[in-house]
Amino acid sequence: MKLPAFLLALAMIWLLAPTARASDAAPPVTVFAAASLQDALETLARRYREQTGRALRFSFASSSVLARQIEQGAPAAIFASADERWMDHLQERGLLAAGTRASLLGNRLVLVVPAARALNLDLTPGFDFAAVLGSDGRWVTGDPSHVPVGRYAQQALTTLGAWPLAQTRLVRAENVRVALAFVERGEASAGIVYETDARASTRVRVAGVFPADSHAPISYPFAVLARHDSAAARDFLRFLSSDAAREVWRGHGFGVR
Amino acid sequence: MTRLRVDTRRRLGSVEHRADFDLPLAGLTALFGPSGAGKSTLVNLIAGLLRPEHGRIAVGDTVFFDAARGIDLPVHRRELGIVFQDARLFPHLSVGDNLRFGLRRAGERARAPRMPYDAVVALLGLEALLARRPHTLSGGERQRVAVGRALLAQPRLLLMDEPLASLDAPRKAEVLPYIEHLRDAFDLPILYVTHAVDEVLRLASALVLFERGTVVDAGALTEVIAHPAAAALRGGADAGVLVAGAVRDHDPRYGLTTLACEGFALRVPRVDLPPGTPVRLRVPAREVALALSPPDDVSISNRIAGRVEQVLPGPDAPASADVEVRVRVGAGTVLSAMVTRESVERLALAPGLRCWCLIKSVALHADALALARGRALRTGGDAGPAQA
Amino acid sequence: MLTAVEIEALRLSLQVALVAVAASLPLAIGVAWLLARCEFPGKTLLDTVVHLPLVLPPVVIGYGLLVLFGTQGPVGGWLHESFGLRLIFTRWGAALAAAVMAFPLMVRAIRLALEAIDRGLESAARTLGASRLDVFFTVTLPLMLPGIVSGGIVAFAAALGDFGATITFVGNVPGETQTLSLAIYSLTQTPDGDAAAARLVLIALALAVGALYASELAARRVRLYIGRA
Repeated sequence: MKLPAFLLALAMIWLLAPTARASDAAPPVTVFAAASLQDALETLARRYREQTGRALRFSFASSSVLARQIEQGAPAAIFASADERWMDHLQERGLLAAGTRASLLGNRLVLVVPAARALNLDLTPGFDFAAVLGSDGRWVTGDPSHVPVGRYAQQALTTLGAWPLAQTRLVRAENVRVALAFVERGEASAGIVYETDARASTRVRVAGVFPADSHAPISYPFAVLARHDSAAARDFLRFLSSDAAREVWRGHGFGVR
Repeated sequence: MTRLRVDTRRRLGSVEHRADFDLPLAGLTALFGPSGAGKSTLVNLIAGLLRPEHGRIAVGDTVFFDAARGIDLPVHRRELGIVFQDARLFPHLSVGDNLRFGLRRAGERARAPRMPYDAVVALLGLEALLARRPHTLSGGERQRVAVGRALLAQPRLLLMDEPLASLDAPRKAEVLPYIEHLRDAFDLPILYVTHAVDEVLRLASALVLFERGTVVDAGALTEVIAHPAAAALRGGADAGVLVAGAVRDHDPRYGLTTLACEGFALRVPRVDLPPGTPVRLRVPAREVALALSPPDDVSISNRIAGRVEQVLPGPDAPASADVEVRVRVGAGTVLSAMVTRESVERLALAPGLRCWCLIKSVALHADALALARGRALRTGGDAGPAQA
Repeated sequence: MLTAVEIEALRLSLQVALVAVAASLPLAIGVAWLLARCEFPGKTLLDTVVHLPLVLPPVVIGYGLLVLFGTQGPVGGWLHESFGLRLIFTRWGAALAAAVMAFPLMVRAIRLALEAIDRGLESAARTLGASRLDVFFTVTLPLMLPGIVSGGIVAFAAALGDFGATITFVGNVPGETQTLSLAIYSLTQTPDGDAAAARLVLIALALAVGALYASELAARRVRLYIGRA
């Protein structure tokens, strides 16, 4: 065989061969989680792997997107949602493993602006949202029609009387991290994200915190999915509510029950 | 009298194209040579579509190109008319719009046009075609439109690059007369590129000879035709000479016309031209027989005394069945006779021998006749008989 | 029947695609000309850059546009400061994203049309007294027309369908940047949006098929008109 042909054959074999993992015989547990959980979950996954040697696979996106994918048969073992409604959506369709659903975490809703802008607001009914936006500015959050953070934002702004104006200037992002990015870039004048996201970024600053009673309580239900229920999955879920894990959650700014 | 002065060199691939000549621009000048000899290249150089590497091109007082002085007149300002072998009509315009394309851009020259629109359309028989699209025309029609378009640009010089080469024989026969008419109708010098012998002999009064990318001779047709490189014009199936003359009188009883040539006369079937009209006649070598003494009891009407000048091919050349004998007659005209080698030996035809050329009248028919209106063949244009 | 939101998305899509194609057409002709007729250092580079939107992930294109044309970017910032013009979150930005994605298709079609033109016709026109510019407008351009028309229509269809570049650059703003693709995407995430999404999908399909069909028909008619049938 000539050299180039030999190399090509070698490359094909390498590309097409199934990857063999040295350590475990079991396939990794797949976790579908809300975008706002990304940093904390990745930290926890590292710890888990150090402890047990087991690897995990993640997919981070808006809870809405993930729920729809699971509904269509996506191979997730665990679902971590940013609101109860999307977990209800799956529960109604009998997709949850019985008894595994639990809501451990909470969060706060904040108004952020690009870091360079010095702005502090009291987010009380009738606050001047127009002043925050300026004459032609836009603000961004997750799409209120399906993304949890957007839903919370709409609720909060409605309660505070700013929704009619806000609605006309809204840029709808696919998930909270995309919304955050727009504010970080300075393209959006303001954004509404979770407190944990604001903390994770150095390029935005919190201009104000929405009162907890201006919106439905932010709650993160976790559950194992019936179709891919396994001991490994349940084990990881237990780990996520262990004492060690709680420290990590708190460290990232989540409220822990 | 405007003169065309060309002195250029240009490399094309592995061949160097050289042209160096100075011609008076009058009547139709043929650019003749085998395929690939450089004729079309010369047209492109004069037109400005190709740039010489060295040299100079001038038409009259206008300098088109001068390498030394850095002059290169842009194509669209050279006021030339070009007819290409492939017509190149604009497919998105009607025939009428094609015709007017150059006229619209002729500026001052269009105000009192030397070649008016109606005259050109009538001359080329284009009235019925004006509203049509080029792709619906036949090859011959397309070339006629191309000629008309070039004429209507009011050029100072018309260049025709093998305009009939892509036409079949019937189409060619259809278009050739139109070219003759336009040659005679407008006082417009024409450069006519061709490798077809019959076109040269029928149309041209001057000749530029090409061989392997170089101009080897240029001048009046009757002189240049003697050059070795013009053998194709003389030899082969189309061998023949051009004879200059004028209509002397008509014989109504026998339906014949007598032509007064230089030092001799020729009787031909009746030609409908008034006496005094200058003509030139193709005398095909195959129609000329030779005799050592003037035969009286023979049907041939034309018997012309002369002296053998040359026998071709010479004694060193390979033997062939046909031999060309060139005979000087009258005041200096050279006639060609094609006879068998056997006859040459039998009659002992050799240079210096007195003989008679016998030409059948019926062989000299009308379409071997060309009208040389307004110009004499010898000088190629300076002085000529007045318009008939 | 369509709701107001859906009609808005349709209208916006058509408007954005039209603006995208119309505005980039002269540039596409110019670039096609350069690639077809000229030799210059960097020609291959230009050819590659023009074709990037065909091979790069649309999101990458969108991100690039964001970096360049966002109000904090070099070009976008200058536009915003000098003219108060903002591209991000606006329909003009959406048109820009669509135009970039459709550009290579336009250039390819026009370039092909240009290369098919008999240069002899252009030489003939020059000998008849037309300057180079005159030749371009009276001979070259009319003969390029089938390519321009069909390329423009295909580009229109491509512009209509863009998603990745649009959403990454100008975001999802109903009434401003929420074109058909973005609207369909949003609806498929919304719990009860399936029916509406299906309606819009059918419309998008009809538009795409219609555009391709029209492109073929138009090119054929123009070819007839210029006598190349």
